[in-house]
Amino acid sequence: MTEQTVIQPRLMGRYRNVVLGALAVVLFFAAWQAIFLVVPFNPLFISKPSLIAAGFVDLVASGELFDDLAVSAVPFFLGLGAAVVVGVPLGIVMGWRVRIGYALDPLMTIFYASPLVALAPLLVIFFGVGLPGKTIIVFSLAVFPFIFNACAGVRAVDRRLIDVVRSLGGGEWDLYRKVLLPSVLPFVVAGARIAIGRALIGVLVGEFFAASEGIGFAISRFGDLFAIDKMFACILTVMVIAVVLTEGIRFAERSAFPWRRGQ
Amino acid sequence: MAAYIQARNVNLTFRPPNRAPVRALGNFDIDVAEGEFVSIVGPSGCGKSTFLNILLGLIKPDSGDILMHGKKLSGPGTDRAMVFQDFGLLPWRTVEHNIELGLELKKVPAAKRRAIAARLSALVGLAGFEHHYPHELSGGMKQRVGLARALATDPDVLLMDEPFAALDAQTRDLMQVELLRVWREAKKTVLFVTHQIDEAIYLSDRVMVMSKRPGRAKKTFAIDLPRPREYEMRVTPQFNELKLEIWNTLKDEIVV
Repeated sequence: MTEQTVIQPRLMGRYRNVVLGALAVVLFFAAWQAIFLVVPFNPLFISKPSLIAAGFVDLVASGELFDDLAVSAVPFFLGLGAAVVVGVPLGIVMGWRVRIGYALDPLMTIFYASPLVALAPLLVIFFGVGLPGKTIIVFSLAVFPFIFNACAGVRAVDRRLIDVVRSLGGGEWDLYRKVLLPSVLPFVVAGARIAIGRALIGVLVGEFFAASEGIGFAISRFGDLFAIDKMFACILTVMVIAVVLTEGIRFAERSAFPWRRGQ
Repeated sequence: MAAYIQARNVNLTFRPPNRAPVRALGNFDIDVAEGEFVSIVGPSGCGKSTFLNILLGLIKPDSGDILMHGKKLSGPGTDRAMVFQDFGLLPWRTVEHNIELGLELKKVPAAKRRAIAARLSALVGLAGFEHHYPHELSGGMKQRVGLARALATDPDVLLMDEPFAALDAQTRDLMQVELLRVWREAKKTVLFVTHQIDEAIYLSDRVMVMSKRPGRAKKTFAIDLPRPREYEMRVTPQFNELKLEIWNTLKDEIVV
């Protein structure tokens, strides 16, 4: 009985939060559609949700959208994967070997804070317009959240656990595997949410500059053709993918770290 | 009495950066016989936990000799294991995997590890909780895991650094009874650091009182209470006399 009265309002509250959030999205699109009742509508410069939806249906029906997405997905996942493989170990070492950390931190901060997309034309010159160039742009944007979050994770490690492993005969490598890596994983997953956003930027920018296919290329080509409805259809698709990926990670976080429940 | 652990003139000074050095241990001596249960009581900051960390091999003393079984101590070894004050359990590992940690580091095969973990879970009263995570356990149960983990590598010496200090009074009393039961079955030499005089007397064969910093052995009391120890012993005149005697030795060292 008391259980019920405690839990009930919380469930209601959670449900209501979702409804409120969804309502805002619906209202946004409704307002977008409605504003052209008072503002003159010029399809060369702007589009509206009804036309975008029609454009979306066209793109899906012709298969263009999925072809472009499939092309873009390859550098996205390759670059992101490489960012994890390089960024997490590098961040852990920077956090654990304090001197290496002090040595590399300023350089990494410069790269992280600066708009690396400005280097995209140069990377295209170096690596070409194909998969390697795009992958490297994605990697160079996505790697830094992994480095910095893994590094912060190491600095937050419970020092007693280090003593525990050492006292039981563990060496340096055991510390990395049995204490540092598991400790930083939640930080890495939090970093992944940021990295995904940056990786998407990387794909799009790479394809804006030089590509003959891919979702970024599609966006810029539809823009050039004044097919604003299809351009928006592609942009909104990318937005939805970004939301699904980052929210998916948040969801996975809960089931991936059962030991964090109740902490 | 052949000394199993023998420490002579152990000195250690901490030198934290930008602060005055702290002399933790000053000519500290101790002898512990094989199978003996010895407690060290002393004022806060007297270096008693530091000495355990030296024995564990995590800290090197500035000078002094420490012999274990006649051999000079060098670094951590599987002949010693610590039960830590704040349990020191890996939060991402279940009870079973926490107990297996030392065995894993020793490259013991998985099947054998599992068998040892199962036996020790039962010994410390954790049967049925093997797949729980530390955050699902009470403080007393967490320390049972800590004890089982220390026993898993079958060390000769158990070092216990205020293992029950984080527990409430009733749980602590029960854990003391449990520890004696486990000690009787596992037959280990125990060096037990505590603030509690009652706890030290109830558990130990001998109780050493340490001086304030820099810590040295001030006086050692033999506890002649018969074993097995019953909980009721804590209210006997003999127990209380010992308690008073130890307190009188200790109180001059306490700096408020």
